[in-house]
Amino acid sequence: MNQSSEPLVLGIETSCDETAVGIVRGRHLLANVIASSVEEHARFGGVVPEIASRAHLEAMPAVIQEALKIAKVSLNDIDAFGVSAGPGLIGALLVGTSAASGLAVGLDKPLFGVNHLSSHLAVDALDETKPLRPAVGLLVSGGHSSIIQVNDFATDIRVMGATIDDAAGEAFDKIARLLELDFPGGPAIDRLAVDGNSHAIDFPRGLQDSDYNFSFSGLKTAVSRYLQKTPDAHRADVAASFQEAVVDVLLSKAIAACAATGIDSLIIAGGVAANSRLRALAAERTAILGIELRTPPLALCTDNGAMVAVMTSLAVSAGIKPSQTGLEALSTASVNQPIWA
Amino acid sequence: MTTILAIDTSTDRTSVGIIKDGVLIAEQFHDDPLAHGEVLPRLVSGILAQVARIDSVAIAMGPGPFTGLRVGIAFGEAFALARGIPWAGVSTLAAMAVAHKEPEFIVAIDARRREFFCSHYKNGELVAAPRIIQREEVADFDIPIFYEPATPLAIATLASTSGSITSPIYIRKPDAYPAPKGVKFRLWTQLDLVDICAIERSVYVDDPWSMAQFKEEYAGKNRQYLVAEYEGKVIGYSGVMQVGDVCDILTLTVIPGFRRRGIAREFLKRMIDWSRNQKVAAMMLEMRLGNEEAEPLYLAQGFRKISERNDYYGPGLTAVVMRKELR
Ligand SMILES: [Zn+2]
Repeated sequence: MNQSSEPLVLGIETSCDETAVGIVRGRHLLANVIASSVEEHARFGGVVPEIASRAHLEAMPAVIQEALKIAKVSLNDIDAFGVSAGPGLIGALLVGTSAASGLAVGLDKPLFGVNHLSSHLAVDALDETKPLRPAVGLLVSGGHSSIIQVNDFATDIRVMGATIDDAAGEAFDKIARLLELDFPGGPAIDRLAVDGNSHAIDFPRGLQDSDYNFSFSGLKTAVSRYLQKTPDAHRADVAASFQEAVVDVLLSKAIAACAATGIDSLIIAGGVAANSRLRALAAERTAILGIELRTPPLALCTDNGAMVAVMTSLAVSAGIKPSQTGLEALSTASVNQPIWA
Repeated sequence: MTTILAIDTSTDRTSVGIIKDGVLIAEQFHDDPLAHGEVLPRLVSGILAQVARIDSVAIAMGPGPFTGLRVGIAFGEAFALARGIPWAGVSTLAAMAVAHKEPEFIVAIDARRREFFCSHYKNGELVAAPRIIQREEVADFDIPIFYEPATPLAIATLASTSGSITSPIYIRKPDAYPAPKGVKFRLWTQLDLVDICAIERSVYVDDPWSMAQFKEEYAGKNRQYLVAEYEGKVIGYSGVMQVGDVCDILTLTVIPGFRRRGIAREFLKRMIDWSRNQKVAAMMLEMRLGNEEAEPLYLAQGFRKISERNDYYGPGLTAVVMRKELR
């Protein structure tokens, strides 16, 4: 297909603490610019919504202009705009939807409100060498842990299961604190676990019989109890055994979802997709079962604008109508609503 | 010949107007404190049909409730960027004052949480920098107070005559304070009860809660109990309970070696957040009279004394009842 006939799309993402803008043409990535306010939140011990919203407003024009510069396009060239409209922090989302509306109304171009969760998985489409096909998505990060059935990103996507308490990334952060490791906890545990025996301690898997939902609070308590009872525990063994428990339950359920749906393709996205044990075990198990494993590059796994842009581009290509002017930001949107009406 | 698009989302009203050579040629507004994000794009796209081109954008920069305020600024800036035209920001209170010729008056914007952003004008001059006042203080003024939103014409006129304000006027700080260093806050677990009881006995020597009482609290519903941890050791705890339309602070305890480090303030802030989420009308607490350490903390977070209860903590020990309105 002639590249220039594909839509040029600018996507805006502000659902948490990253102000991000991505530009794609069709399924081809042109720019992905991220300004993070994470350092401003560090001293508060978590993301402060009001501080995140203030930072989004401050960063937005510069991030848009930087993305245009990198993509070597002007706003007038853009065919459609996209914005993460939920789920997320409402005040933060509103900065994004308002800026996107300003661009779209100013240029009289279509605007698509897209789902933040489905966009996380849609970055998989940025690899043009892979044909689009139905997949099971395992979305794991500090904010999300879900199993999602993707028949078509823009038109047919639904949640199969999600965490009933902590997100997987949160569990990593909490256990890292118990093990006195640095923030963020995911990479720290990953590093420590390399020297540990992942079968040293048999930590509980949680909700093993219950369909595709996750629970990590029991595991967290078990690790905390173990550390209290065993003050001279080998920390690397604890890290490795904890990590194994999380990764095992995530993959068991994702693979069970593949089997139940008859889908032989698995996408793993979100910040926790960076975990080396998750990647290794996923490669091992999918290879045995003949499931195709798709893991987006790490830079596209955390919150970014490119995922919003490609999600929007897929919606344009699918012939979906743009969202109405003044689309509503929804802090608790379900993934079942990929594109805002 | 110049045509200005004026945008104001700093009050409950979302307001837009087009001003051509100093004359208002179109205007639209919608009153809804929670819908700026949906309303503004619609109003602007509706009003644009009436003009061939816009030369600049004038944006009311607040003060105003934050979430709505940012809708107007984010939209207006992006619109200007899209059209390749300049934008200018003005103080919303200054634009409101344009409409009034009285020798002395106050313009005020509802800041929610029973507070107002206001500016005091005398003989056409701003007397003091815009500030925040409590709803109760409004009754004390003997000069007129005006609440009417600024007109698009006033916003556009100010934008073209005075210097542009490029950042939002927030006045109020975000509800966030640096967490005390090295101290972790989390929900309590059953494992904490032993530590908590030990602290309780050492701090409230005369009348500590018993383990049985804490167990009852642990099993109870509609409560939030938190602990603060330093190097894995519990150093304080707080508890708040919802009863009908009010949340009661049940305890706020920090062990002596860790006081005056912002730990109590962090507990209180988290209890206020939790109570707001319960959508209750107010929070209440009882405090021992003469509790010099705690009183300024509560006052700073908007608690006011409403009554005293004699002999509440035993003979001769008076409890002060404090209340903070949340609506
Ligand atoms: Zn995310």
